[in-house]
Amino acid sequence: MKHAIASSLVAASIALVVPGMAAAGWTRTYVVEWNEPAMYYGAKSGVIDPGTDCPAGTNPEVDWVKVLVAAGYTEEEAKWLRNPANPTRSPVHGQNQMAFRGKDRANVYVNPTSTPDAGLVGVSGTIAEGIDLDGNAHTGLTSPTGEQGIDNKFYETLGCWKTYRGPPRLSSGALQFNDSMRNGAWTTLIVVTGKGSDPLNDKHVAVGFYLSNDKMVKDGNGAIARDYTFRIKPHAKYEAVFAARTVNGAIVSTKPADVMLRDPSYTQDLELLRARVNLQMQPDGSLKGYVGGYRPWEPVYRGWVNARGPVIEVLTWVQLPAVYYALRRNADFSPGGRKGEKTHISYAMRVEALPAFVITPDATAQVAAVMSYKVQAPQEEERRGAGTFRVVDGIVIDPKMTVQAGPNAVILPSTYQK
Amino acid sequence: MSLRFDRRSLLKGMLGGSAVYLGLPALDVFLDGNGTAFADGAPLPLRFGTYFWGLGLTDTPTGGTRWVPTTTGPGYEVTPELASLAALKDKVSVFSGFRAIGDGKANLVHWSGHASILSGIAPASPNRFDGASFDTRIADAIGTATRFKAIDVDASISRLPVSYSTRTGNTFATPETTPLALYTRLFGPGFQDPNSPDWKPDPSIMLRQSVLSAVTDERQSLMRNVGKADQVKLDQYFTSVREMETQLAVQLQRPGKCEACVVPGAPKDAPRASSVDVVNANTRTMAKLLAMALACNQTRVFNVVHTAGASETYLAGQSKIYHQITHDEPTDARLGYQPETSKLAALVMQALGDFLTELDAVKEGDGTLLDHSLVMAFSDTGYAKIHSIENIPMFLAGRAGGRHKAGQHIVGKGESVTRVSLTAMQLAGAPVGEFGTGTMKTARPISEVMT
Repeated sequence: MKHAIASSLVAASIALVVPGMAAAGWTRTYVVEWNEPAMYYGAKSGVIDPGTDCPAGTNPEVDWVKVLVAAGYTEEEAKWLRNPANPTRSPVHGQNQMAFRGKDRANVYVNPTSTPDAGLVGVSGTIAEGIDLDGNAHTGLTSPTGEQGIDNKFYETLGCWKTYRGPPRLSSGALQFNDSMRNGAWTTLIVVTGKGSDPLNDKHVAVGFYLSNDKMVKDGNGAIARDYTFRIKPHAKYEAVFAARTVNGAIVSTKPADVMLRDPSYTQDLELLRARVNLQMQPDGSLKGYVGGYRPWEPVYRGWVNARGPVIEVLTWVQLPAVYYALRRNADFSPGGRKGEKTHISYAMRVEALPAFVITPDATAQVAAVMSYKVQAPQEEERRGAGTFRVVDGIVIDPKMTVQAGPNAVILPSTYQK
Repeated sequence: MSLRFDRRSLLKGMLGGSAVYLGLPALDVFLDGNGTAFADGAPLPLRFGTYFWGLGLTDTPTGGTRWVPTTTGPGYEVTPELASLAALKDKVSVFSGFRAIGDGKANLVHWSGHASILSGIAPASPNRFDGASFDTRIADAIGTATRFKAIDVDASISRLPVSYSTRTGNTFATPETTPLALYTRLFGPGFQDPNSPDWKPDPSIMLRQSVLSAVTDERQSLMRNVGKADQVKLDQYFTSVREMETQLAVQLQRPGKCEACVVPGAPKDAPRASSVDVVNANTRTMAKLLAMALACNQTRVFNVVHTAGASETYLAGQSKIYHQITHDEPTDARLGYQPETSKLAALVMQALGDFLTELDAVKEGDGTLLDHSLVMAFSDTGYAKIHSIENIPMFLAGRAGGRHKAGQHIVGKGESVTRVSLTAMQLAGAPVGEFGTGTMKTARPISEVMT
């Protein structure tokens, strides 16, 4: 059935060439079955073990009683706040009072500089995955294959954080978001076209990233099935078009582009300035590689905060204000020029895609060109809050609770017994 | 003198101007000489229950598992997290490799899995199902001749009562959340001891019955004077009234004696802390009460929640709850799994083992209560760390009166969880030929476990 549909669309595409657009010499189309931040794992086993990237291993679990005491709570109060028997501690939304540990009990999620930088240990190794974004081999780290100048400050900053650390496809963050994507939360397509006759070596190549409303299909083993058909959904925001060339099957950008992709994260928006691709066509027909660029770092921080600050902190072993300080400290790009404020940080996303049939938004033909569909996109729908709950200033407030968190909250109940 | 009633008979009568039809319980007089079946050879009444626990069992991202037996079919090995079922494994079938399939709907964490299992529909939004839970269909089929059509129990000691039994998808049953509340409901005022020599109908029930019947008397005149939409509403309302009448009428009839029925003493409530030892003790106490309620023919259908999807339970003395540990604990490189998570999973499963043991401890006929029951136990998730809805652990326990070829391990290979649900419905005697929607729609029960 799926092949029959695709075959008929191939025939249709011959007759339906977009006016004013040169037909491609070749086209290859894919569906992204896995994407994650490119975080090189320097250990030989496990997901938290010491390695060349993080010699002390993944950053350890935080002693929250100690943190709360340092923030001005008594030890008794701190222990009560962390006690599962405390009825103000929601099993789903964490302990809201943890937000109020800044100066004068300010909310550290919305005011991270109200607390001192606890220091987030970053990567100290010399190897990184990604792309040489600035064309300078003397800046950045070295790729696992020896390429110099890999720019990935995002990795250097957050690479020892548990949520990001681990071998490919095994970090907890990658597992979480890719499971969601593979279960239908979103679908990203890649279209690659060239004007030449040899797809593996072509000087004029275009690469497009698009969304689709069609969901990926899993086989009996839970793996994403190949060769299904997906229709492009024009999207006002999530779309990326790159000019590139191919060299021995490697698709490499020929000039940078400013793009927006669907991010496998709470942030959802992956805005990349001066973005580039480096993707390798595989012998089995799949596609693997990187998309990189400079992404604004503050939305990354806010994404974690809005996913419920206390939950993220406790589950992923990090103090979010320390993440804020670390991203700000390591940001390496200013859209306004070299002397401008560093609002962006170099970043790379690891992408793995399977061959798929991709058809035009009107479903009349198989795509034969890389182009922008933004003009066809409906007005962007208002985005719902993170998940199924409303987060305000990093916490979920239950108005029914008799005790509400805040700067002036009474911590120990009157019935509290030592 | 031959009895003019048999087990299929309905008691008929007029009450407050309305005809009342009343099904009959499994009276001794209807049984054969050995007490193993009815006189006409039909089996003893079947009980059905669901048992839910939160956070699944332990898988690993690389395909390892702490619960899936390596062998299939009968005589499966007892894996570490199934240790509590070892003594009963010949009465428990294990189902692995089944998944909830959303057909593009997002995975609503700690919700989509069991909503799919129970309603057959991947839910579109949290906190509601998009259809009735299938236990209600079984209750409609086998639960009409007892005092309670179904009993709902929540042993989790959560902040809010937890139930996943629903007829509308919007509102869920109100469970008993403490042993004392369950005891009071089952054996407190209104309880008709089937073995008591001085049984008398409860006047308060007679009064309520009269009131309900009076409402029914006026039904037709009211129906004539309202619009079509209101007629539909009234029809639904009066249907529920009639169901209530039928249930109340049971309490106006002298019940048959039940050999296994022993009225227990009132239990003490557990402390209001949801540590796993307390929740497990709570579950066991409530299991004893429920077992007697089944033996005393107070109900034939029950739903038990051990812990909610986003479980609040924890190890006493620890600051982290189980839910948190499933997410934050890294996989141990040497062991290949999350050790603390697996330890807690085994503790949670201990409660299921204890629950089934309580049913199995009640002798009934030539077997046990568990032999005449079918308990479908399941969770909300597979690999809890990522909220996976694949490989959700599911079990069918009890021989279902001989219908269930128990003691097998069935591997689903990615098939829909609804196949197990349909199997449970058919084993429990619900007249259901297919279940689920979209990709989860199935008309294929798992025949390997059906006699």
